[in-house]
Amino acid sequence: MSRIFNSMRDGVGFDLILVGAALLFLLALAGLPLVYNVLMSFQQVDMFTLGTLIRPWAGFTNYVDVVRQPEFWLVAKNTLIFVFASMAGQFVIGFSLALFFAQKFPGAATIRGLFLVSWVMPGLVVGAIWSWILAGDFGVLNTILKSLGIIQETVFWKSDPNYSIWAVVIANIWLGTAFNMLLLAVGLAAIPRDLYEAAELDGANAFQRFWTITLPMMRSTIGAVLSLGLIGTLQQFDLFPAITEGGPANTSSVAGYWSWQMSFQLYDFAKGATISVMMFLLVLFASVIYVRSTRHEVRG
Amino acid sequence: MRLQRLAFLATLALSSVSMFTLPAAAQVTVKMWSIDGDNGLYTKLAEDFNASQSEVVIESRLLAFDDLVNEALKAFATGQAPDIISLDNPDFALFSSRGAMLDITDRVANSDVIDTSVYYEGPLASAMWDGKLYGLPKATNTIALFYNKDLFAKAGITEPPTTWDELLEDARKLNDPANNVYGITFSARAGEEGTFQFLPWVQMGGGSFKEVNTPGAVKALEIWKTLIDEKLASQDVLSQGQWDSTGTFNAGNAAMAISGPWELGRMAADAKFDWGVALLPTETEGGPRSSAMGDFNLGIFANSQHPDEAFKVIEYFASQSDRLFPEFSNIPARSDIPLPATGDARTDAALKVFQEQLQYAQPRGPHPEWQKISKAIYDAFQAALTGQMSPKDALDAAQATITGIVG
Repeated sequence: MSRIFNSMRDGVGFDLILVGAALLFLLALAGLPLVYNVLMSFQQVDMFTLGTLIRPWAGFTNYVDVVRQPEFWLVAKNTLIFVFASMAGQFVIGFSLALFFAQKFPGAATIRGLFLVSWVMPGLVVGAIWSWILAGDFGVLNTILKSLGIIQETVFWKSDPNYSIWAVVIANIWLGTAFNMLLLAVGLAAIPRDLYEAAELDGANAFQRFWTITLPMMRSTIGAVLSLGLIGTLQQFDLFPAITEGGPANTSSVAGYWSWQMSFQLYDFAKGATISVMMFLLVLFASVIYVRSTRHEVRG
Repeated sequence: MRLQRLAFLATLALSSVSMFTLPAAAQVTVKMWSIDGDNGLYTKLAEDFNASQSEVVIESRLLAFDDLVNEALKAFATGQAPDIISLDNPDFALFSSRGAMLDITDRVANSDVIDTSVYYEGPLASAMWDGKLYGLPKATNTIALFYNKDLFAKAGITEPPTTWDELLEDARKLNDPANNVYGITFSARAGEEGTFQFLPWVQMGGGSFKEVNTPGAVKALEIWKTLIDEKLASQDVLSQGQWDSTGTFNAGNAAMAISGPWELGRMAADAKFDWGVALLPTETEGGPRSSAMGDFNLGIFANSQHPDEAFKVIEYFASQSDRLFPEFSNIPARSDIPLPATGDARTDAALKVFQEQLQYAQPRGPHPEWQKISKAIYDAFQAALTGQMSPKDALDAAQATITGIVG
């Protein structure tokens, strides 16, 4: 008896309790909804069966129907543009800012902290602000671009099918850059200074130091930032209703927004679930990369 | 021991007190769900109803507009539905067509308070399914053409346009890019608001929500497209809602605007020019009229435990119709209630036009899958207006989707 108790306080039993608690938490709050969602994507759901678990089986009908929707490929293309353009923008600007603020100059830490303001702001507020900035006739961005002579004609960022997805991408880059910068700055701070000193003594120039020391030392951080960025971007929702509502003609609709629209505007819960299962497979892929990159961290 | 006795006595005393204060005949509680906003209409009328008698108590719950249908679906599926719900009229058929709402045809026929013959056809039709009445319109609204009289005079136009071609011609004359003035503004947004604005044109063009590719409907979409292609309307009408769109009219940046009576208060205060309201122009002179129809219907859930009491509440709301406009700026869905003067001549004249336009207002649907039909319609005009498809092809594609839904 006391042996079990002792092991629970300090030993294998204690480990098991910790693992068990974490697993229970994951199962209840992430696992069950996930399984329920997958189950729903294989069923026929309407208002009379919404509250039950056992519903008429639909097989792959929902999946076939979703792929056959006229907007499916457009939404898929938009999702890829949105995810990769947002991530690239957030990462490049975030990394540049992190490197910039890693230089020791007066007030560097304070100004870096101020950048977090954009990350703290709720997505809907950011969306509303960018919606005004990007407005066609009276938007600030058009006024600036016109006075600089970059554009002559008014660009309807939110209403032109060629630009609508980019309108949301621009807002999303602004929203996510600070988060990227923060994580990358932490990674930069963890690189031992003596490596750079040694390289400098050996005559390595700034580019060589960046390429042979900073990048390799940041590998796991970069992997983590990119996969978190992918997950965060796929989850981005608030900006869409606030800026374009997926329009015009679905040219700025992405999988996450489409799934919400199916479930909560068209009340087709099964198809909404189907789209989110498809998205989940994509996120799963990112999670595998993330887990692999953090596993590296533990060993080091 | 002593403590237990004390506790027992206390419980006894408390229960006798509570028995004494509660009346012997228990009150019936009727749960009512509605939206927040709407100038506090639901809250105030529920309070007044509760104060007016002692048999029925309304327990009112206010929800956000976007949550109302989802919450109601969830509640109905789990058997937790309220007794009464107020639903936006195109959402009503989602419930009534599936037997989720109580058939009140006979109750209304036998009612001393409600007389359906005085109600406008459109709002009443939105509460009907398969010839039976499942609810009663709370109020109604529609859209018409606002026009800037000062800009019209400047362009030498004396009368507002009465046909689509005149509308286009006037828009060309009024358009003044040098002074940041567009000919017209409206909402062609990818959402219910867009369908709300476009469907009347389809109906005036001989179509309906079941038949959107008639020649008249195609012509309507071609006119919309011309307005945007010739920059007679801002391309941002594709993403603006009606409220923002009409805001540009109030600021003097558009000479005409298509919107509804909910704009009147703000316009009377903001617009620094003389304005008027005209009926929506028709396809040809004297052609069929139509307009959109908005606002909410009150209905009783079929599994309500207190249908009689719930119906009393609906009767009460109907009996208070004369208060809708003076107190809550809602327009009653019936023609027998004169709207009192507001003190603003332009507003009073505008209300007369809106009341006339209401006679032609047609419901969206009713159809249980309205939201999908609506998406087919707004996807079509957006595809045409952005040049991805020709108006004819876009409406043909929408028709194929709609035929798949309505059969």
